Amino acid sequence: MKRLLSIAAVLLVVLSLCGCETEEKYPNHTESFYVNDFAEVLSDADEQELLQKAVALQNATTAQVVVATVTSLHGEEPYYYATELARQWGVGNAEADNGILVLLSTGDREIFIAVGYGLEGALPDSKTGRIIDVYGLEYLKNDEFGKGIKAISEALINEVYIEYGLEPEAGYVNIDMIPQQNTAETGNVLVSWIIMIIIIVILSFITRGRSGGFFFFGMPHIHTGSHGGFRSGGGFGGGGFRGGGGFRGGGGGFGGGGAGRGF
Amino acid sequence: MKKGLIILISVIAVIVIIAGLFIGSYNGMVSKREDVESASSTISTYLQRRADLIPNFVATVKGYSDYEQETYTAVTQARSALQNANGAAEQSAAANQLDSAIDIWVNAVTEAYPELKANEQYRALTDELAGSENRIATARKDYNDKAKDYNTSIKKFPRNIFASLFGFEAYDYFEANEGAENVPQVSFD
Repeated sequence: MKRLLSIAAVLLVVLSLCGCETEEKYPNHTESFYVNDFAEVLSDADEQELLQKAVALQNATTAQVVVATVTSLHGEEPYYYATELARQWGVGNAEADNGILVLLSTGDREIFIAVGYGLEGALPDSKTGRIIDVYGLEYLKNDEFGKGIKAISEALINEVYIEYGLEPEAGYVNIDMIPQQNTAETGNVLVSWIIMIIIIVILSFITRGRSGGFFFFGMPHIHTGSHGGFRSGGGFGGGGFRGGGGFRGGGGGFGGGGAGRGF
Repeated sequence: MKKGLIILISVIAVIVIIAGLFIGSYNGMVSKREDVESASSTISTYLQRRADLIPNFVATVKGYSDYEQETYTAVTQARSALQNANGAAEQSAAANQLDSAIDIWVNAVTEAYPELKANEQYRALTDELAGSENRIATARKDYNDKAKDYNTSIKKFPRNIFASLFGFEAYDYFEANEGAENVPQVSFD
């Protein structure tokens, strides 16, 4: 009897490994590539706005920020699912590996941001985790998934602009400039933004000409390796516009980097 | 005369084909082996990266009285074991040891000082530690994929002949450690 059970178990394992369900497990990306709202948490307007911002980012930097919402991770760990999906879709440019995948699972109540190799310097895991904490965790905890994922994705897009030495969207402040204790209190964050902007303006006068960022509030700045500014000759091969409409990935590499939260 | 020429050409052709097969197989195996080696060194890099994070972690937690000295001793021991480990098997065993020692320690610390969870530096470091672990797991999976690709290639005909001739040996796989796998354990007793 025990033996029979063992055989049954082996068969089950084999069946689960044969790839019968992989197609469903990791869905193909949508025509719009950048926004894949399978769990339907984003409003049409938000979806359009995010798409436009992601396309604009790709045009300016070749980097790709892709959003995916699913209802289930099929029992996988969030980091694993996100990394696998990002690899399959080829998020980011193959040369610069500058892709980011924001994955939200409504069923598992998990979010994970997978960061491609090339952006690990700009977005170390600690910073990625903080972006979730500061911009989206409160929304997500209150079941406002659409708002949460939009805010997080926009923050990431802006961080990539900053990394490439470009201007972020008006009103966006580098997350390193936000004081640490006010995590996830949106009201306070707004006030602190204003204060920060004033401080930055003053500091930029004082430290004029000095290159590099400032160091605020003794934040541990763990850099896993910095990568240069804007790549002017970087080639726009990845993620280009495809003739028949729709976008696609450029084959960027992912190694499990990034951060996630349960909510 | 003409017949002789045909034979000569045939012989040369056969030699060229065999040589081509040989060179192709050999180079193919070499490049696959390089892939495995590079995947293996990626794992070592991430193991080191994680080991390097521990002092930062200690520095952050130190403000909280005795930072669970008891469980921390196991971490330092596992850490020095990893640094002294030789060979992939020993390194992998030491890394697994460190894995569980860190988990136990971090859990003990968090339990004893729940207020740490609100500490930004603590959060940042747990993110970095978790990220390191995810990278290690991903690197191991990639290594296994590459090793499987290579192992299969050296066992297939005709490469198996060249492989045994030139001492291409199969690589071991990484076993998934606890928690990393969702596959049920099967025993045959």
